[in-house]
Amino acid sequence: MAQMATESLERLLREAFPDATELSVQDRTGGGDHFQVIVASPAFAGLPLLEQHRLVNDALAGPLRDGTIHELRIKTKGTA
Amino acid sequence: MSELSSRTKDVIENEPVTLFMKGTPQFVMCGNSDRALRALREAGAPVTAVDVLPDPEIRQELSTLSGWPTIPQVFVKGELIGGADITEELAASGELTQILEEKLGPDYRGSAEERTVSVLATPA
Repeated sequence: MAQMATESLERLLREAFPDATELSVQDRTGGGDHFQVIVASPAFAGLPLLEQHRLVNDALAGPLRDGTIHELRIKTKGTA
Repeated sequence: MSELSSRTKDVIENEPVTLFMKGTPQFVMCGNSDRALRALREAGAPVTAVDVLPDPEIRQELSTLSGWPTIPQVFVKGELIGGADITEELAASGELTQILEEKLGPDYRGSAEERTVSVLATPA
């Protein structure tokens, strides 16, 4: 169950950031609801941090809304 | 606009630094809220905290206003700064201090008093 959640978040992020050079989803507690995501993508280049995180939040809007994600930590990196 | 929404907006716009969090600074109920609070304290920010837990509507109205889905949320003079990760990153890079100085003036630390307000109606 927890593994499924991780995989589905990763899929959503891959769809939103097809050019990502680094992309990972870590289930921080093993419970399938506290996640750390890391995305490095040219899509973030030149964007303020707030807008970078907004793009990640938008990509994960579904699981954020339906409660799949109880806690989300985001690390974004803009790449050239 | 609902009363709750307009009270929330009032707090965001009128308080120098607003932190919407789970729990209160005295009794923090969530790790991310704690991280945001610590980052703000380290920067010497005058934090006005709003606990979103007493009523789920607070969170809904807030996210509608801000377009930000998660808690915590940090605002400086009406402007959304971000959640825990952004606040921590900005604090670590020194940008948070810059933002606070720009928006609140260079002496903002002098007023670094922490307080908690409610956006719910006072019971009649």
